[in-house]
This record gives sequence, structure tokens and C-alpha cells, in this order.
Amino acid sequence: MDIIRIKNLNAGFPTKRGLVRAATSVDLTIREGECLGLIGESGCGKTVLGMTIMRLLQPNTIISGEIFYKGQNLLALKEEEMRKLRGKELGMILQNSTTSLNPVLSVGDQIAEGIILHEGLRKKEAREKATELLEKVQIKNAAVMSKRYPHEFSGGMRERAMIAIALACSPSFVIADEPTTGLDNRTMKGVISLLAEVAKSKSMLFITHDLAAAFEICDTIAVMYAGEIVEWGDVDEVFSAPLHPYTSGLLNSLPERGFIAIPGSSPSLIDLPGGCRFKERCACSEERCARAHPLMKEISSSHKVRCHRYD
Amino acid sequence: MSKKNLAMRVSIAIFAIYLLIALFAPLLTPYDPFIIAGGIYEEPSPEHLLGTNDLAQDIFSQLIYGTRATLLLGFTGAILSVSIGTAIGIVSGYYGGRVDEFITRTLDIVMTIPTFPLLLVMMMFFTPGIYVTGILMGLLGSARGVRVIRSQVLSIAQMNFITGVKVMGASDLYVMAKHVLPNLLSLVTVQFVFSAQHFMVMGIGLGFLGLGDSNVIDWGQMIDRAYQNGGVINGLWWWLIPPGMAVTFLSLSLALFGYSMEDEINPRMKLTRI
Repeated sequence: MDIIRIKNLNAGFPTKRGLVRAATSVDLTIREGECLGLIGESGCGKTVLGMTIMRLLQPNTIISGEIFYKGQNLLALKEEEMRKLRGKELGMILQNSTTSLNPVLSVGDQIAEGIILHEGLRKKEAREKATELLEKVQIKNAAVMSKRYPHEFSGGMRERAMIAIALACSPSFVIADEPTTGLDNRTMKGVISLLAEVAKSKSMLFITHDLAAAFEICDTIAVMYAGEIVEWGDVDEVFSAPLHPYTSGLLNSLPERGFIAIPGSSPSLIDLPGGCRFKERCACSEERCARAHPLMKEISSSHKVRCHRYD
Repeated sequence: MSKKNLAMRVSIAIFAIYLLIALFAPLLTPYDPFIIAGGIYEEPSPEHLLGTNDLAQDIFSQLIYGTRATLLLGFTGAILSVSIGTAIGIVSGYYGGRVDEFITRTLDIVMTIPTFPLLLVMMMFFTPGIYVTGILMGLLGSARGVRVIRSQVLSIAQMNFITGVKVMGASDLYVMAKHVLPNLLSLVTVQFVFSAQHFMVMGIGLGFLGLGDSNVIDWGQMIDRAYQNGGVINGLWWWLIPPGMAVTFLSLSLALFGYSMEDEINPRMKLTRI
């Protein structure tokens, strides 16, 4: 069964310089129990996609399309109904744990908040549950640490606390937005294995630009470029036999695969080029790439790509 | 101990003395400040520490009782203006957009109305008691606080943890009460102290202009009386100087507390303050 089904989703921010098209006709499906890795460069619209699902973008954002969660269209829900889903059904681990915790509240209280809001527990019970959650995300001395404030936590611990907050009401779907950014290698590995643990029991959208982490945690991978999904498929297929030149480029830029950077930079989301959006940076671009915008093409039942080479 | 820390301690100590005097006024005063306690225009003596005035009332007792009126006025005004200012400021800064625009523009208009003259006119026509005076001050003086709070909320509302709370499924009201407000607490305290000081001095001003509540004694009215009834001409310094000094020290202690608190929250304020 599909837990999340995104159909033809567009999201844009009106600015003085024009409409910033952060997501263009995104189609994605996440099955129950599946972990989808959304990868791409910074500023390609990954976070926007996550926030659109949570419906937490600024109010003037222009959104069209449909996002179904267990069959109900999230974009058609009233704010009040949506609020009941947030935290309870849809959990989210925000990026940048340093600023994502309230500096004036203890970490335990911040985990307890969601529990109090959704499960109506008393403060004391909620705090106990918060301590249990901290234990679950492998924070040592959880009872003591839950009374501490965010500045007393290390980066890795804060990230774990963020995970605990997201899991507080045991949501069935979790969005993890670059949870490993800014951590050192060793801490990062710990957090990744924790997330892999979480991914086993939940459906997840894992937003990252850390390809190795995505490979470790995810079942399927979607590659996003300039607001579009350019490749989407089974994790092993995407990593072993990438179809889109951009995906190959990303993989080649990994240290163990040669450290070769993709030339150029991604186009401005205000002034998107016609035709293929990747053509300027693509080694195998042809005349038709400038002429026509490629459509998503199904290569196999578990692999899709948006590139003229497979027409 | 750092210097500003010392300033804060000293100011708190001075203020505590005022507070205690106000609380225990009946125990500290040798006479009822309203009764005839001896002859008129008596000089300071062991019986009358600061002499008596033209109505033969004990000036020392009046001075002590005056603390009550001044503190009461200052705090009534400050509590009201800071509550209103904080509430409106949070709503304005948090929602932004049209709500913010509307509130800010309304404030711009409200702020063009000069508070003190308006208060004077109101006092002359309605001759309200001390509580109503405090409430009027609070209402008229809340506009400035809104701006300060609003600008702070604007930056808090952009912080990631606000999104974090929303992700948990919190309502706007919840976010404002539980997450925005606690982050404003130190700023609200500073606002409170400065407006209390402002309103106290304003109350003294009203008393001095003969517009105070005639049922209570305040320092402004004492100074006014001294002016009207020969205290100044005859050089009766014990009648005039003590209420003046009392105001000065009270105001000073609050200002000192406010500034050191401000530095505590944001050391950069030191540079921007003129």
C-alpha cells in the first residue's frame, strides 16, 4: 500500500524578481515501510518538497497538485485537521539541529511537548516518556540529559534529540531533512545507523546530499535537479546503473569514485531554461535537449528517468 | 564581580529599600500623614524629622506614604502597558503580513498623539483616582512597547525551532505562548522596568501640576504644595528637597537596573544606545 503519493506537485514562491519554482510536477510514491532517499544539490527543492508535505511553507507559496497520505489529500485538509496529523502521523526531523531546538526549554520538555499535545498525557508522564525516547535514541544517562538544555548537548546528541522529538508520538511516516549535515564522520555514522534502525519500522522520506548515507538507509532513491525529479528507482539499480547523466555525475563526484565534479552550477529557479534543465552541464547533450523538455520515462517497473537518451 | 553586575546589585538594593518602605509605611511613620501633627511650618526636630507643612502635617510621614502612591502608579501603568504591548507585539510579529501591516500602521497613527498632554487633558476633565490614572497611563503608553516586542518577535518567528514546534502539530497560539513568549522574557522585563520608571516620573509630574489624586499623598503633590505655600520662598529645604531626592533615587535605581539588564541580554546594545 502507498503511504504517500505525490501527484503533479508544483510549488513556487512569488518574489519581486519573479516566481521561484522550487518544485515542478513532482510525482513520487512511498510505499508502506519503504524509505525513499531524495538526493540532489543544495537549493534544488528537496527541503521544499518535505515542507510541502508537512504544509509548513510560508502562506503565500503557490502550491498545486495532490499529496495523498493513506488516501487523503493533505493539500485539501483544513489547517486544523492538518495540525492533528503533524507530529502524530507525520513526523519530521528538521535540518540544522543547532537552531531547531528552543534554547530556553530543556530537551526533555521539548520532546514531551508533542506527547502532551497529541496524547493528552500529564506533564510528569510525558517527561518519563521523553526520557524513554532519549534512551531509545541511545543517549547515555537519559534521565539526567532530559533535564539539560540544548546548548549542553553536542551536535550528535542534538540530532538524536531531534529524532526523539520526531518519533515522540510514533508517527507512521517520517521526513528526515538532512539529519547528518554538520556532523563529524564518526558522529554521523552513529546517527545514520540510528536512522537505519528507525527506517526498518517506519516509512520514511530521507532528504540528503550524502549519497553514502542514502545508500545505507534507503530502499528507493529519487534524484532531484532544479525542482524536478530526474531519476527514481530502486536503490541498488540507481547506484550500480544510474541512467541520468546527473546521477552519474553525482556518483562520480564521490571520493571513492574519482572525485570528479559536475561542471557548472544548477540554473536559477526563477529563470529556468527551456528543454532539459541539465543540458548546460551535461556531457552528452544533443540538439533535441534544448528543443524539448524530457518526460519521465519508465525503463523498468522499478526504474524511471527523465532524459532524452532513453526516448 | 563585574562592573555592570555591581550596578545591577546596587540598583536592586535601592529599589528593595523603596519597596520595603512602601509596604511598611504605617510602621515607619510617626504620624498619620493627613492629620494635624503639631504647629505649622515647624523646622526639623526630633518630633518632626522633616518639620511640618502649612497644614501642620508631618512631612516625614508624608514622604514615606508618598512612596506607595508613586510605586502603585508606576506598576499599574507598567503592568498594563507591558501586557498590552507584549500581546499585540507578539501577534503582529508572529503573523506578519497584513496583520502586521495593519497593527504597525495603526501604531504609527497612535504614536503621533502626544501621551503626556493627552493625559493632562484627561486628568483635568475626569479627575480620576490613582488606579484609573495608572490604567490611562498604561493604555496610552503601550504603543512604544509594541514596536520593541514586535521587532524581536519578527526574528524569533523566523527561527528554526518555531518550525520545529509546528512540525509537532502545535497551534499558533501554543507556539506564541510557550515558545515565543519565554524567549522574550528578558526583553519584557527591561520594558517593564523602563515603563515603570517612566510612569512614576510622569505621575510625579501630574502631582506637581496639581492634577494628582487628592486622596493620596505623592511626592509631586508635596513639591507642588511646597511651591504654592511658601516652602520655596522661605527656603524650607526640608520640605522641598526630600521628595525630590526620593524621586531621583528611585528613578535612578530603575534606570540603572534596566540598563544593566539590557546589557546582560544583548551586549551590543551598549554600542547602539545613544
